[in-house]
Amino acid sequence: MSTSRRSITAVLGLPLLAIALVLPFFVQEAYLLHSLTMILYFAYMASAWNFVCGYVGQLSLGHAVFAGLAGYATVLLYTQLGWSPWFGMLAGGLLAAILAVILGYPNFKLRGPYFTLTTIAFAEIVRIWLENTDEFMGIPLKGAQGLVVPPSDLGWQVFQFEGKVPYYYIALAMLVIMLLATVVLERSRLGYYLKAVRGDPNGAAALGVNGTRCSLTALAISAFMTGLGGAFYAQFFRYINPERNLGMEFSIDTALMAIVGGQGTVLGPVLGALLLHPIAEITRAWFGGRFPGLHLVIYGAILMVAVLYFPKGVIAPLQQWLTRRGLRKPDPAPAIDVQEVRP
Amino acid sequence: MDPLILLYAVVNGLLLGGIYGGIALGLSLIFGVLRVINFAHGSFLMVAMYASWGLWAAFGWHPYASVVVTVPFLYLLGYFTQSVVIAPLIRRESTLVVEPLGALLLTTGLYLVLDNLVLMGFGPDVRSANVEFASGSLLVAGLPVNIPRLIGCAAGVLVAAALWWALRHTDSGRAIRATAQNREAAALSGVDIQRVYNHTFGIGAAILGLFGALLTPFLSLTPTVGQMFGVKSFLVVVLGGIGSIPGSILGGLLLGVFESVASQYVTATSAAIFSFGLFIAVLLFRPNGLLGRKI
Repeated sequence: MSTSRRSITAVLGLPLLAIALVLPFFVQEAYLLHSLTMILYFAYMASAWNFVCGYVGQLSLGHAVFAGLAGYATVLLYTQLGWSPWFGMLAGGLLAAILAVILGYPNFKLRGPYFTLTTIAFAEIVRIWLENTDEFMGIPLKGAQGLVVPPSDLGWQVFQFEGKVPYYYIALAMLVIMLLATVVLERSRLGYYLKAVRGDPNGAAALGVNGTRCSLTALAISAFMTGLGGAFYAQFFRYINPERNLGMEFSIDTALMAIVGGQGTVLGPVLGALLLHPIAEITRAWFGGRFPGLHLVIYGAILMVAVLYFPKGVIAPLQQWLTRRGLRKPDPAPAIDVQEVRP
Repeated sequence: MDPLILLYAVVNGLLLGGIYGGIALGLSLIFGVLRVINFAHGSFLMVAMYASWGLWAAFGWHPYASVVVTVPFLYLLGYFTQSVVIAPLIRRESTLVVEPLGALLLTTGLYLVLDNLVLMGFGPDVRSANVEFASGSLLVAGLPVNIPRLIGCAAGVLVAAALWWALRHTDSGRAIRATAQNREAAALSGVDIQRVYNHTFGIGAAILGLFGALLTPFLSLTPTVGQMFGVKSFLVVVLGGIGSIPGSILGGLLLGVFESVASQYVTATSAAIFSFGLFIAVLLFRPNGLLGRKI
């Protein structure tokens, strides 16, 4: 079908993917490859966040809890039980999904700021508890100090590699899977239900859409994916601690990328990560430790500008531009003009 | 548990609770009128504290004297936050589909900017103002009462009473209440909505100017000092009922005593966990707070 071939996802996504695939052949410097991997990682995490929040229209600032939980599970299953991190990753992701359903069930009854504040509270409870717990039921959690992944023989089995290239391609593969999942969601019954809930929760309920169940399904998938990302992070840095992996800064960063890029779209979060993460890397490289909060000042300013002038994210003007250039089919006109219906 | 220690914990909790309540007043007022959750609330308090500390460090002013600067300064900061940053969003929302998260995101951005600007300017070091006047403790019936905290608590109750009175008996107070009840009807009656919004945001922030100065004598400053108060303010207004002035003080006192007594039994960090747990429980089971919504 020509629509699918000419959607913005394809027009923009396929060239980006091609560039991402060949980039490691031209970039040899370890630091640059590390930064590129981090961009892919953040694009993945922002997309995982977008999977529920972008489509349901609720703002979670507590997604760090899923990343941290799965990361800790992966590291602990490896160090304590000798599980391969690949299985640990899946186990951690499942754990995150189960936690998401338990937390999400009561929480989705709340809307707007109430929902957001509760997600923060949940994540902060877990972070504070972890930071102050050295041992829990015989499991060494090491509190604020965090856990180190012990080095071993390199190889796929233990998820430890020489150099950055394998990590880069793993992150890229995860991102592609995440984006394909989002494309499937957009065309699935679940995706339409979620959009209906976002547009008008009461109207959707009147038509028989179980909003809580749809939201929970999306949240479980999102938490699972976020968990996989958290496990990847732990393996990539071979280190995990409550502040970096469970802190509010991580939650805000990923949410911010999705929002600035364009939530509720397939490629928006990727654009957000492409736009924002380099700012953090560049300020760190240029100013070192001299201005510790500089990139967050810029993030905050960009967020404010985006909310005021690009409420649909930077992907919206890009979409218009591509349409004008004839590279993309215009969106079908809505059957009814929404504004006319409103009193 | 020794009853005297418990009594001491309760008294200390009440003192701290009055301060919590006073700090939360602005958050509650702004939400009640504008329906905006100011995520940068704690950052405003932090800015006020740094202003007060700066006047002490540069000119040797007692933090209490610095209120003549911090209160107008914070009023202006709040006024311009509303008129420059938030007003365009509200103007857009009044014509289009309402996006309640927009304001939350805007103030999240403001929080990131303010906290990290101060971090860049002053570094992560801990700072404190050492002053003699009005420090130390009084002995009341054998219990030591910390003077700066007593002053802070009294200020919380007084400001709440003054605000409550002003909202009922002054022209601008009536305009604020009318706007909170029905924005369109108030506008039709000749109330300048934008001005009321700016003024309300200014007052909400000005109260933080006062408390920033009152906290500085006994609290160390870091760029993240506001975050803890911001989160506690949300807790206080949720406890007391968002938009309610007496509820804010009541919620503050409840939280203060809860924290203070809990930390006698468990460690302070576990007490913080219980506070968050209380927050979630109240939101889930009594989302309108203990006193409901009223302004």
